[in-house]
Amino acid sequence: MKTLHRILALVALLGALVGTLRAANKELNLFAWSEYIPQEVIDGFTKETGVKVNYETFASGEEMLSKMLAGGTAYDIIQPPDYVAEALIRASLLAPIDYAKLSNFKNILPEFLKMPHDPTQEYTVPYMTGTVGIVVNTEKVKEPIHGFKDVFTPAHANRIVVVNDNREIVSWALQTLGIEANDLTPENLEKAKPVLAEWVKLIKVYDSDSPKTALLNGEVDLGVVWSGEAALLYKENPKFQYVLPVEGAHQFVDLLAIPQQSKNRLAAHQFIDYILRPEVSKKISEAFPYTNPNGEARKLLTDAERGNPASYPPVGKLGTFRHIGKISQAIDALMTDLKNAR
Amino acid sequence: MRPTSRSFSSRRAGLRAWLLLLPMLVWLAAFVVVPMGILLVYSFCQRDDLGRVVFVFSWENYARVFDPTYLAIFGRSVAYAAVTTVICVAAGYPVGYYIARRSEKRRNQLLLLVMIPFWTSFLVRTYAWITILKNDGLLNGMLQYTKLISAPLDIMYTPAAVIIGLVYAYLPFMILPIYSSAEKLDNALVEAAYDLGAGPVRSFAEVIVPLTWPGIAAGMLLVFVPAIGMFAITDLMGGARVPMIGNVIQNQFFQARNWPFGAALGVVFTLLFAVSYALLQRRRVWEEE
Repeated sequence: MKTLHRILALVALLGALVGTLRAANKELNLFAWSEYIPQEVIDGFTKETGVKVNYETFASGEEMLSKMLAGGTAYDIIQPPDYVAEALIRASLLAPIDYAKLSNFKNILPEFLKMPHDPTQEYTVPYMTGTVGIVVNTEKVKEPIHGFKDVFTPAHANRIVVVNDNREIVSWALQTLGIEANDLTPENLEKAKPVLAEWVKLIKVYDSDSPKTALLNGEVDLGVVWSGEAALLYKENPKFQYVLPVEGAHQFVDLLAIPQQSKNRLAAHQFIDYILRPEVSKKISEAFPYTNPNGEARKLLTDAERGNPASYPPVGKLGTFRHIGKISQAIDALMTDLKNAR
Repeated sequence: MRPTSRSFSSRRAGLRAWLLLLPMLVWLAAFVVVPMGILLVYSFCQRDDLGRVVFVFSWENYARVFDPTYLAIFGRSVAYAAVTTVICVAAGYPVGYYIARRSEKRRNQLLLLVMIPFWTSFLVRTYAWITILKNDGLLNGMLQYTKLISAPLDIMYTPAAVIIGLVYAYLPFMILPIYSSAEKLDNALVEAAYDLGAGPVRSFAEVIVPLTWPGIAAGMLLVFVPAIGMFAITDLMGGARVPMIGNVIQNQFFQARNWPFGAALGVVFTLLFAVSYALLQRRRVWEEE
């Protein structure tokens, strides 16, 4: 009898498993940055469509790329940064988007269309954009800060937080040398090395997830961080001023895209169109005040939100990062070497 | 007088033992042997432009592991883990021994206290330490309030913070095995040592420590080995300033997108564990001889 019971239990279990597999078209596998999509927004989509969203997070574009290439989950929507999307498009790993299904796509401002990562505008939809710039605690730092050279001085030793992103850090050094941020050749890395060696001695914290924490806690007085983090700091206390470095800044665009292996492209399109709605996009801006590429959503923001200098800095069009390929390993080796030598 | 039946029954017992072991063997094969095999294969491969593994043989990854930079990082990680282990033994031994000498009821209460932290996520507990140690945190606030110090101590994002975090994370893994050894310690042997004229120091060093050595050794392994590879604490409490081997390996799989090199580091790292384990085992054999 016991054996029979066990077999029955096993059959029931298998049945449940098949049931879950069947329900797959009622589910959407979303792979996105941590701290970027409010739960309220995801819940709203499930409530409207009945599609359950499995929200998995990553902390860097490279992490996303690694996990996607490794296989495993068939993601329906991913949120790559511009240069990762470029690599995915080149490797034919993204499914083309049917823009006719996106009634709200027209809300995206024209300057965020046909950008270098997706020049024909076939595979991606902009989610949020931003810049990487300098945050200054003006109560503690009295001298004017205009660029990287003012941040990385011996007077600021042990008072600086930067994002823990080697490519970012190396690109800043290149820009102080007047070299274009994407010009990542072994020779240019060699030129950046002495600059970086000095900087590494001054930096107190490397944190990509929440660089604002060290600034808020008073552990450091200066930071080179994502603009959204800077905007939250400014909202908390206007003593945290945002400065775009004079040596040159770049913008990043985080996108929504549908991988080739997606099994639920219909729901993926529905989700993207939902995100593009002005009132939904506005909620995202409220929680994570990056630069919203959605023109209609911007109109719904308060004057204070639109006036946040970190969210909407007074600049023209900035360049973006491009796909760099194998040099990423030289960048990693360089920074590991310098951090180790300090 | 019945050798056949005897060998038959023992063979049957052998079969049963294998059947009982089967789930563990399957588990070991699926989650230890196979992944290690994949790691070993990857470590001799190359990567493509996107970071995918290309199956073309190469020694290059191992050549890079023995680059002075990575050796220095290895050394530093081992040093941090060693300091952590020493502090854990020093702090954990009295606790484990004390708990083992209490009445059974009290023992269970005390053990519960050691276990309670596990009910909360490890990351949440690490963030709690940040709240305690930061410049305007609890510790500095208290010390300044009681006028013990005038300026806040700079603890967060220093090696000291990393050691505090590591000791905190691994102390229970030292206390528990020491407790279980100390619990089995026969008090009569300690009394005998006293009767034979040994003082407290001598009976501790020559009777108690050797008898509880298995617990100490197990605790040392449980603390030392994982502490070498820990990366979350060095990131969160050390500010990711000084690279540890765990961070370097993690970076290969994500930021640098160089899985073969990460795999090579992992293989060497695993060998290091095996060697340290073998050394401790040998030590134990010596003790027994």
